[in-house]
Amino acid sequence: MSSESSRRTFLKRAGVLALAVPGVAATLDACAAVATSAKASTIRVGWAIEPDTMNPLTTYSTEAVEVLQLVYDNLIHYSLKLEPEPGLATSWEYSADGKTITYKLRQATWHDGKPFTAADAVFTFNLIRSKQISQYAQWVADLSSAQAPDDRTLVLEFSAPQAFNPGLAVPILPQHIWQGMSASDIQKDANSQPIGTGPYKFVNWKHGQSIEIARNDGWWGTKPAAEKITWILFQNEDVMGQSLRTGAVDICPEIPPTIWDGLEGATKVKTVSMESFSFHHIGINVSDNAQSGGNPLLKDLTVRQALSYAVDRQQLVNVALAGHGEPGSVILPVGFGDWHLDIPQDKQLDANPAKAEELLEAAGYKYQGSATVRTAPNGKPLSFRLIAIETTSVDVAAAQIFRDACAKVGIELTLTTLDANTLGATVYNAKAPNWDIFVWGWDSGVYDPDYLLGVPLCSQIGSNNDVYYCNREYDQLYNEQSVEIDRAKRLALVHEAEQFYYDAASYIIMWYQDKLQGYRTDTWKGWTPIRGGMILNFTRDNYLKVQPV
Amino acid sequence: MVRPGVSTGLGGPPPEPGAAVTTLGGGQVAEPRAGELRRVWRYLLADPMGRVGLVLFVIVVVISVAGPLLFRFNAASVSNSSNGLLAPPSAQHWLGTDELGRDVFREFLSAAHVSLVVGLAATAISMVLGAGIGIAAGYYGRWADTVLMRITDFFLVLPQLPLVIALAAFFGQNLGIIILVIGMTGWPTTARIVRSQTLSLRERQFVTRVRSVGASNLRILRVHILPNVMPLIFANTVLVIGGAILAEATLSFLGLGDPVQVSWGTMLHFAFESGAIGRGAWWYFIPPGVGIVLVVLAFTLTGHSIDQALNPRLRGSR
Amino acid sequence: MSRLRYIAGKCVWLVVTLYCVVTFNFVLFHVLPGNPVRLLARSGHLTPQAVADITRVYGLNHSLPDQYVIYLGNLLHGDLGISYTYREPVSQLLGQYLGNTILLLFAATILTIAGGTLFGVIAANRRGGGYDSATVTASVIGWSLPTFWTGLILAFVLGVWLHAFPIFGMETPNAIYTSQFQRIEDIASHLFLPTLTLVIVNIAQFVLVARASVIEVLAEDFMLTATAKGLLPRRVLWRHAVRNALLPIVTSSALLIALVVGGAIEVETVFSWPGMGLLVYNAVLNRDYPVIEAAFLVFAIVVLIVNFASDLLYQALDPRVRES
Repeated sequence: MSSESSRRTFLKRAGVLALAVPGVAATLDACAAVATSAKASTIRVGWAIEPDTMNPLTTYSTEAVEVLQLVYDNLIHYSLKLEPEPGLATSWEYSADGKTITYKLRQATWHDGKPFTAADAVFTFNLIRSKQISQYAQWVADLSSAQAPDDRTLVLEFSAPQAFNPGLAVPILPQHIWQGMSASDIQKDANSQPIGTGPYKFVNWKHGQSIEIARNDGWWGTKPAAEKITWILFQNEDVMGQSLRTGAVDICPEIPPTIWDGLEGATKVKTVSMESFSFHHIGINVSDNAQSGGNPLLKDLTVRQALSYAVDRQQLVNVALAGHGEPGSVILPVGFGDWHLDIPQDKQLDANPAKAEELLEAAGYKYQGSATVRTAPNGKPLSFRLIAIETTSVDVAAAQIFRDACAKVGIELTLTTLDANTLGATVYNAKAPNWDIFVWGWDSGVYDPDYLLGVPLCSQIGSNNDVYYCNREYDQLYNEQSVEIDRAKRLALVHEAEQFYYDAASYIIMWYQDKLQGYRTDTWKGWTPIRGGMILNFTRDNYLKVQPV
Repeated sequence: MVRPGVSTGLGGPPPEPGAAVTTLGGGQVAEPRAGELRRVWRYLLADPMGRVGLVLFVIVVVISVAGPLLFRFNAASVSNSSNGLLAPPSAQHWLGTDELGRDVFREFLSAAHVSLVVGLAATAISMVLGAGIGIAAGYYGRWADTVLMRITDFFLVLPQLPLVIALAAFFGQNLGIIILVIGMTGWPTTARIVRSQTLSLRERQFVTRVRSVGASNLRILRVHILPNVMPLIFANTVLVIGGAILAEATLSFLGLGDPVQVSWGTMLHFAFESGAIGRGAWWYFIPPGVGIVLVVLAFTLTGHSIDQALNPRLRGSR
Repeated sequence: MSRLRYIAGKCVWLVVTLYCVVTFNFVLFHVLPGNPVRLLARSGHLTPQAVADITRVYGLNHSLPDQYVIYLGNLLHGDLGISYTYREPVSQLLGQYLGNTILLLFAATILTIAGGTLFGVIAANRRGGGYDSATVTASVIGWSLPTFWTGLILAFVLGVWLHAFPIFGMETPNAIYTSQFQRIEDIASHLFLPTLTLVIVNIAQFVLVARASVIEVLAEDFMLTATAKGLLPRRVLWRHAVRNALLPIVTSSALLIALVVGGAIEVETVFSWPGMGLLVYNAVLNRDYPVIEAAFLVFAIVVLIVNFASDLLYQALDPRVRES
């Protein structure tokens, strides 16, 4: 297929005026001097962020999971409709009280030839549970036991009913490779040659360049058409977009808005926009910790409501996302379908600076003399610190717009940008969080409301809870929905929880960004758009189902 | 980070301590004399390179001082709709708009101001450090000289861009830090040059005479050494500014600049990140680069010329 | 005898400086602010167990002086620590990236020195003429160009617009080569633009240095004698002048390395060339201390060694210089 290098004569190096004319014969079309196969047999994915590790127990990166989900199987996978479909488990059953799940397992072989048995599944769950390791630990927090009555059956017992089936999240690891490793061994292990039961075998990872996996012909499922899949790392998203244009890659799962707009109408490229399961938000420090360095004025609900009313979320979407997104409101993005609570526009705390000023005046936050910043009844000014991640340009842009919008209602914000790690360290300082307001974002860890709803829990302080919100009533609502197996009842509870948290206004959710992706139409066909993206999503099925053109 | 000056005299490749001064090294300098300034000025006007440099210099001053006052840039003037993003030049926006819909022409002028302020401030720090260390080493000699020069050599050997990146990365991204970091890595070359000059001055007749009369060190430094080192420092300063501006542009481009106080380097960073290259938004990524080149040229040419004015030997090589 | 002593002295100085660099490195990267444990987890939910494990694995539970000793010991064994981002030994990572940067540096340095000297000598030969002014002007402008911007413009004009050269990476991804030569050709075409950028920006130094030094030498007495003896001007120029002008070129080369090393970071970022510069850039974004530390060390050592070599070369070339 095409590549971005063109025919070139090799120039001699010795002191030649190679600095002069580039006019040596160059054909402008996409004919490669270096051949890549005629009929597509490799899916080439272009992205701009590399995984952190191939160790499923230590990774927190979405990109790592994207690769690992093809090398490892879960018990249950998501279909192209984001519904559960059999993985290593051919069927599963809940007990009457919802606390026990029995999985029937299929025959499968590890990539190194050894047979897969229920013992491997037991081992995996026990490992995560006992060492409390990995991002999957939260799904087995209630696990009381994992048993294998026979080679093809797995029984998981929990202390409470599980609305979210952990079989959907946890990759099954080979016992014969991972057994005997201590927690620190696992932390240090790069797992550079992952062995799983998945449809693809790991080939190599050239750091900073590409990752390659090759089809596992011994896989239990329908043989996928792609012999290989390669993820190519681009340092710059503009170049990534160019590569889609020139045909150097087949699909890009995360294209920034202005670049995506530039790809419209490019020949043989189809751009697709889908709802995502992510949002960006403004978080307000409401910690009750005596040592918190957060400005105590922010604990006043009126101030938070004013902050929320001051900003116009549609404008943020228009500018920071070039229109590719939805204005934000509740904690579950629109991508979650009916789980997302639709609050009528007039009931939203949005785009109403007049109302913000009204609330502030009524509560006694007034302008003293000719000041431009309001003063609280206790004499302190409404002046807060705002932090954002410097490399996330949409956040920096949003932060500036937010700051200017607040200035108009008499609230002063001083913006500092930090690198991602420093921001994380500053925010997640449970003992003494010394910050006022941040701009950040969340991706949902699983396709279930539980993950995002679980963020503002009292128990998550010291963990996911980035604003240190703690309210027993909210915890109660969360607990009820997380053990409610009946969907209709759960829906009502979820909505209630969303409204409750929205009213607390400690999160000002700015937008739900669209997932902007693009693919070549002349290499692979059958890319099915779904909520959350065709790839880099909870389902791996697009990789398995596409056919060469 | 200072690129060793391109001039063949000042700021050139420093000779190994103790090795013979090369024919190009910063060793031999003309005798300092009163009326120096006028001589230099006249030379600048006569020399073609100096003339171009001065013209550019004036343009730069106008752009960065008058420009932002006449055409104010409002960083909050982001567009409301998604239509005006990365738009080409028009009657309304002379250099088009950036990825947030803001006027690039005004942004360019405001950034000029920022880039120059950083360059000048960082240079000031470099010069104070470099001159201070150089004079101390050259004047006090012996121990002070060895120690200070060893330290200088050490910092000369450290790769400057990685060091600057590391420091900027760890200490945050506001202009103050950037200024400090560039300033603190740009002094070694100056220190070397000033030291040579101080050394040769110290042995001059008029200094030994004054010392024998009983003048204190401080007085000698202040009255005799310093004024005679000043022209050298001045010429070097002008060259160092160019390097400082380039250093700031590089840091900002790599994403370590202040994203709120936009400089030319930062503009290029956002252009690179937002896909302006692929979109062919030349109005966004060409002007800031041209601006940097012109500013650096202004200082380099002027500095090169002043250099030659002070060092008649170099003139023969024109 | 005194030459041997000179070399021995230089070796001692090299070792001492290396030690200083290593210590400076340690101080810089271990005393800086930031909670490494948080940096490592990056997601926020860390159990106390995980914190303890990470602390132990990365040796953060020792006191600072202890860490220093451990650090030195590890260095001698070639252990550069474990990357926070990739969770694998840094030395392994470096191995993958270093070779690519050396290739780029090598190409750029050779071409800059060769090209610069060539242009400079020609300019000196035609002193005062149009060629001379043009060369000097072009050189000065080249010096004023920001490296990354030059790269961007070249990428845009030659890469995007004219489609003449690839602007990304080191090889065509997923390429199937029919011969080793084809692979070399592919890499060379990817190498072209990054190298060109570095050459354009750094050549000025050499052009002017070469030019000035040749001019100086030409004016010397012995040159007049040689011309009077009737030797052809061309041979005179090339044999005597250039050889004597080599000295400052050697010193400049040492400095060039320091610049090119810095420039490599910019160029690798613009062209996504998978080298040390890119590694450093990403490590800086992620605050991956062990990687930055190791990369910095490598850069410093490269510059040190080149300086050392150039000192020796300088000695060998210039019979007039003797350390007493």
